[in-house]
Amino acid sequence: MESNELSTLIDGCRAGDALAWEAFVRQFQGRMFALAYSYVGDREDARDLAQDIFVRLYEARAQWLTGDEFLPWLFRVARNRSIDFLRRRKVRTPAVTVDETAVAELADPAPSAEARALASDRHGLLHAALRGLSAINREIVVLRDVHGLPIQQVASILGIPLGTVKSRASRARVELAERVLALARGRGGV
Amino acid sequence: MSGMTCDTIRAAALDPGLQPRAWMRRPEVDAHLRCCDDCRDWLEAFGAGEHLWAAEPADTFADAVLARTAGVDALLAELPSLAEMDPGPGFAERVLRATSRNPTAAGWIVRWADAWRAVVRRPRFAWEAAYVATVCWVLIFGNPVGAWEWSASNIGAVARERLGGPVEELRADLESWRARWAPEPAAAPGAARQQADAVPPALRAWQAGTERIQRGAAYVADALKHAWTSLGEWVAWLVHEIWPPPAEPQPSPVRSTQYFDSPLRPRFPFGARGRLRSLST
Repeated sequence: MESNELSTLIDGCRAGDALAWEAFVRQFQGRMFALAYSYVGDREDARDLAQDIFVRLYEARAQWLTGDEFLPWLFRVARNRSIDFLRRRKVRTPAVTVDETAVAELADPAPSAEARALASDRHGLLHAALRGLSAINREIVVLRDVHGLPIQQVASILGIPLGTVKSRASRARVELAERVLALARGRGGV
Repeated sequence: MSGMTCDTIRAAALDPGLQPRAWMRRPEVDAHLRCCDDCRDWLEAFGAGEHLWAAEPADTFADAVLARTAGVDALLAELPSLAEMDPGPGFAERVLRATSRNPTAAGWIVRWADAWRAVVRRPRFAWEAAYVATVCWVLIFGNPVGAWEWSASNIGAVARERLGGPVEELRADLESWRARWAPEPAAAPGAARQQADAVPPALRAWQAGTERIQRGAAYVADALKHAWTSLGEWVAWLVHEIWPPPAEPQPSPVRSTQYFDSPLRPRFPFGARGRLRSLST
C-alpha cells in the first residue's frame, strides 16, 4: 500500500469516516489476523483476537499516529492486546500445542489446487516451526522477517535493546531453520 | 582450526545479506567444515529439507554445502508470505458490526473499568492485594499475633514478668557500674523535648497519623458494636411485637383463694345457709 494512500486512510479514520474505517479493516485484516495467529496459534482465537485489536484501534482512533510511526504503533497495540488475550487465556506461549491438521489446513489464496496444497504445506511447516520457538524469538522473527519491520522498530516494540534484538534474531533464524528441518524430516520429507 | 566457530558458520549460513554462496567458498570455512563433524551433520540435516525450496546439483563438496544452504535463503524469503492470512469469510463484516455498536469513543468510566480489569488480570495481583491488605490490617488493628503471649512483640514483657528478679538485679548492677565509671550529667530541663525533636518529622507525622487511624478505627468499631447491639434489641422488640409469646392461662376463679371475696361470687338473697341459720335460731 502506498504511503499516501495509507495516510489518507488514516486521516479518514481519525476523522470518523465510516468508509475509511471499512477500507482500513479490509486492508489490514489479513495482517492483523496473521499477527494474532502467530501469538495464539489457533484460528478461532486468532479471529477473536484480531477483532479485539480492531475494536481497540477503533476506540483509540483519535490517537492514531501518522506517517512512518503508524505501523510500529499498530504492531505495538496488536502486541499488547495479544498479550492481554494470552493472559486471559492463562496460556502465555502455546509452544507445544501444535495441531498438525489445523496447521495443514491453513487457508492460502493460491490460484491452483496443487500450488495451494504446496503453499499450505509450506506455511503449515513454518507456522509449526515458529510455534516451537521461544516467545521472544518468535516475536523477533515475526516482526522482523515476517512483517519486515526495521530492527530499530522491533527493538522499540519489544522494549529490548537493539543489540539483543540483533543477536537474538540471528539465533532465532538458526533455531527456526533447525525446527523446520526437524519437522520436515518428521513428515517424511515434505 | 581455522578460527571459525560452529555458531559463526551456522549464523552465516542463515544470513541473507552475506551472500553465502561466495562466503562458503572461502578456504577457512571449507577447512572448518572438513574438520567439524557437528557442522557437517548440521548442514547435512539442513539440506534434508532443501527440496522444499530449492534443489541444486552438487558436484563438489562446496557445491553440496551451497546447495544445502540455498534453502535457507528460500526459508527467509518464504517468511514474508506469512505476513497475511485469510481470516475467513465474514470477518470484516464481523469487525464492522462490532465497531458500529460502539460508535463513540469510550468514556472515562469505561477506560477506568478497562484499566482496572487489566490490573486485576495481572498474574501477581492476588499477592499484591494480599500484601496491601495485610499492611493495612496491621496499621489499623495492630499486630494480629500480639495477643499471643510468646509473639515477638510481647517477648520483652514476658521476659520481665517471668524473669523479673534477675532482670532487675542485672539492671541495678548495670546502673551502678554506669554510675561508677561514667556518671551521667544532670538531665536538662528540655531533654524530653530534645529527644522528641530528634525524631524525624516524617516519622512523627507517621506515628500521629497511625494513632489517629487507630483511634478512628476504634471509634468506628465501637459505633458498629453499639449499632449491632441496638439492631439486635430492635429486632427482638419487633419479633416480640409481631409474634407475642403465648399468654399464661388465667387461674380458674373457682379455684382461686380469693373466690369468696370476689365480686364474681353469686349472692343468694336467701340461700340454704341462711335458712339453716334461721332454722337453728
